[in-house]
Amino acid sequence: MVPEIHFDRSWHDDFLSRIETDGPWGNWDLYQLAYHAEQELLVPSFNGLLAPGHLPQLKPHPHQIETAQTVIEQMHGKAILADEVGLGKTIEAGLIMKEYMIRGLAKKILILVPASLVMQWAAELNDKFYIPAIPQRKSYVWEQCDVVISSIDTAKRSPHKEIIMEQDYDLIIIDEAHKLKNHKTKNYQFVQSLKKKFCLLLTATPVQNRLDEIFYLVSLLKPGYLGNAETFAKDYRSGKTDVKNEATLKELINQVMVRNRREDTGLDWPKRHIQSIDIPLNDEERALYDSLTVLKDSMLIQGFSLLTLQREACSSREAVYMTLKKMLDKAEDHALPKMIEPIMERVNKVKKNSKAEKALELIKQIDNKVIIFTEYRATQLYLQWFFQQHGISSVPFRGGFKRSKKDWMKMLFQNHAQVLIATEAGGEGINLQFCQHVINYDLPWNPMRIEQRIGRIHRLGQEEDVHIYNFATKGTVEEHILQLLYDKIDLFENVIGQLDEILTRLDIKNLDSQLFRIFDESESAGEIKIKMDNLASVINSEREDLEDDDYHEASGNS
Amino acid sequence: MKQAAIHNYLEQFFRANECDIIENRQDGLLKVKLTTDLDKLMMNRPFYWHYIEKIGGTPETATLTLKTNQLDEGGEFIHFGSPRLHQIFSSTKKLAPYIRLYHDKIQSHNMSTPLAPWLGINIKVSYQCDLKKDELLSLGLHLINGTIATHFHDQMEKLTLTPKIPNYCYTLAPLIKPFSGIRRMEVFIQEQIHRENHKWADDAKERWQNDQQLLEHFYEEDNEKPEAYLQEKAALKDQYEPNIHVQIINGGLFYLDSSVFIQ
Repeated sequence: MVPEIHFDRSWHDDFLSRIETDGPWGNWDLYQLAYHAEQELLVPSFNGLLAPGHLPQLKPHPHQIETAQTVIEQMHGKAILADEVGLGKTIEAGLIMKEYMIRGLAKKILILVPASLVMQWAAELNDKFYIPAIPQRKSYVWEQCDVVISSIDTAKRSPHKEIIMEQDYDLIIIDEAHKLKNHKTKNYQFVQSLKKKFCLLLTATPVQNRLDEIFYLVSLLKPGYLGNAETFAKDYRSGKTDVKNEATLKELINQVMVRNRREDTGLDWPKRHIQSIDIPLNDEERALYDSLTVLKDSMLIQGFSLLTLQREACSSREAVYMTLKKMLDKAEDHALPKMIEPIMERVNKVKKNSKAEKALELIKQIDNKVIIFTEYRATQLYLQWFFQQHGISSVPFRGGFKRSKKDWMKMLFQNHAQVLIATEAGGEGINLQFCQHVINYDLPWNPMRIEQRIGRIHRLGQEEDVHIYNFATKGTVEEHILQLLYDKIDLFENVIGQLDEILTRLDIKNLDSQLFRIFDESESAGEIKIKMDNLASVINSEREDLEDDDYHEASGNS
Repeated sequence: MKQAAIHNYLEQFFRANECDIIENRQDGLLKVKLTTDLDKLMMNRPFYWHYIEKIGGTPETATLTLKTNQLDEGGEFIHFGSPRLHQIFSSTKKLAPYIRLYHDKIQSHNMSTPLAPWLGINIKVSYQCDLKKDELLSLGLHLINGTIATHFHDQMEKLTLTPKIPNYCYTLAPLIKPFSGIRRMEVFIQEQIHRENHKWADDAKERWQNDQQLLEHFYEEDNEKPEAYLQEKAALKDQYEPNIHVQIINGGLFYLDSSVFIQ
């Protein structure tokens, strides 16, 4: 059947009145130029991408082009973009947005991102895609600008919310969409209430196996696609958390989600060189560390606090000192101070920091830009001072810095300093491809954070191999952790997405709390070792299963 | 559009607008001083113009340096995606939507020549669902005998046309009024569209129906459908509903010698 034909007759009246009044008539050359412009801007086919032709300076990667085309042609403009960290989801979203704008299919566009990323999105869209995207600062922006970037937190509040509801958006893009996994939150309900003609949800966290999360994320995009909550549970859930009919579910999800993995991109990724460096504690440090072990038998400091102190002792005496001091300040009786004072003496006796000296040696040897990650603010300050004493310039970096300060620090690092000392992976979206060396001065226990750290430099745009140095002090908790993550489960070589998938399959929600339990409940170093070995072998056997699955899936598809 | 073609386009554009061309290098550099009209149209500085007009000052129009190569330092790099080029594209449409031209045929002898009236229009037809495609049509209607010629614009570009009626020429009076001429063209376009294959639209409707069914299923428990249901239903319509839009780019009256279209 022939669809309805709409004639735009706005041209007619003016034409007829010009015939009446004998003009004014246009210039023939301009008339021809207008026709030629229209020929150039013509959309010649339903298929294919026009955007790359409009972006000669962008040079997108093949997997990005393919993703854009898949989303538009096969997913009809509603998709979850779930590439692994560093593969350029923003570029994919930008390409899709640009394509829809060129084709005249999207004009009014709303982009919701974490507050810290608003400016970065605006810069990328304007500079790389020539899309005049405006960060929302005044409330009139919603109505007057076509492409607006805002944080969900702003957007969901009055009076913004009401104004947004009145707009007719063609395309809505939501970055860090995994934050919308809980359907009871205001953010979820806000996004649900938006009218979504085309919609992109960007997330780096694989959601494949978290049943509820995937259900609610997909239902945001295409309600009913996975059934309703009841039928979904009936069809795909067995018991409390297990999945059934997994193959069917995966196939369904793959039709609304694109997930590029590093290894499938066909790109020549720079290699990761991982080196783990064992550092013996000096006598004073050893004495300090051991004095903490004594605490375990007391009933005063236990469990998590004890472990924290132990980990801090592996980092710097400054870090332990700060925590002990806080404990003292809060202490209500004399028992605790009595316990802590001898430890404080040990702290004072420590004159040299073995790790810091090793770091210094390594930095001099690398003779190039280095990022050092530490878990503790006190260590960060100490290292800055220590490096300065040895003529090495460094800049600090914290997750809590404002965006502008982050950018400033990044620039200082790029142009003036050799070392960046960071306490956080810098949160989302800070890219340091100009650097090739990362020292994990102390290791976080959450593997996702390790990947985020490495992801700052091992991402698209990095042209050289990257070097990761993992520090662990000998005969301490650190050594156990490093052995588990590094030797036993090859964390640094493998892609984190895979580990995350394995942990979800095993229903290990939180690797760090698992580790904590092992340390807390074990009586001896030997017991710790056995339990860690067990954990490693469980993870590894699950990985083999997973790889088998992938293999069968791949052969099944061909 | 290749860089050299862009350079040519820019040059023609500024010449047609009677700007001073200060520098024009064939390796891709164009330096032009804008006219007052073009400055107002392109430079987005209403306060400056308001001020100048208020105090009666002499305006200093902007000079643009546009490069289509990436070698020169300075200047604005223009490529197919650059906002400046798209600004120029859209201003051509604003500057010349209506036209009236006369065929300037070199006369072999000084006999008076009749010129027949044609209505010529350039049209964009857009086929739109969740995907989109355009077609350009250029039609000419003989306002006396009702003949419709296709590819009209291409024919016109081959002729010498002037905005003033040439000597020894006179125009024939139209029998078809411009308004009904436009209507005839619409009917012609409609018939042409009806003859085409519209599988694209059927496919889109099928996608629409599928998603609509999923939506019904999602809310089937609700006796009274929530706002979100209606919202989503409307979104699916926006997303998939096939439509055809017909828009006139520009057009006008062309007085042509009878030799132009020999039917």
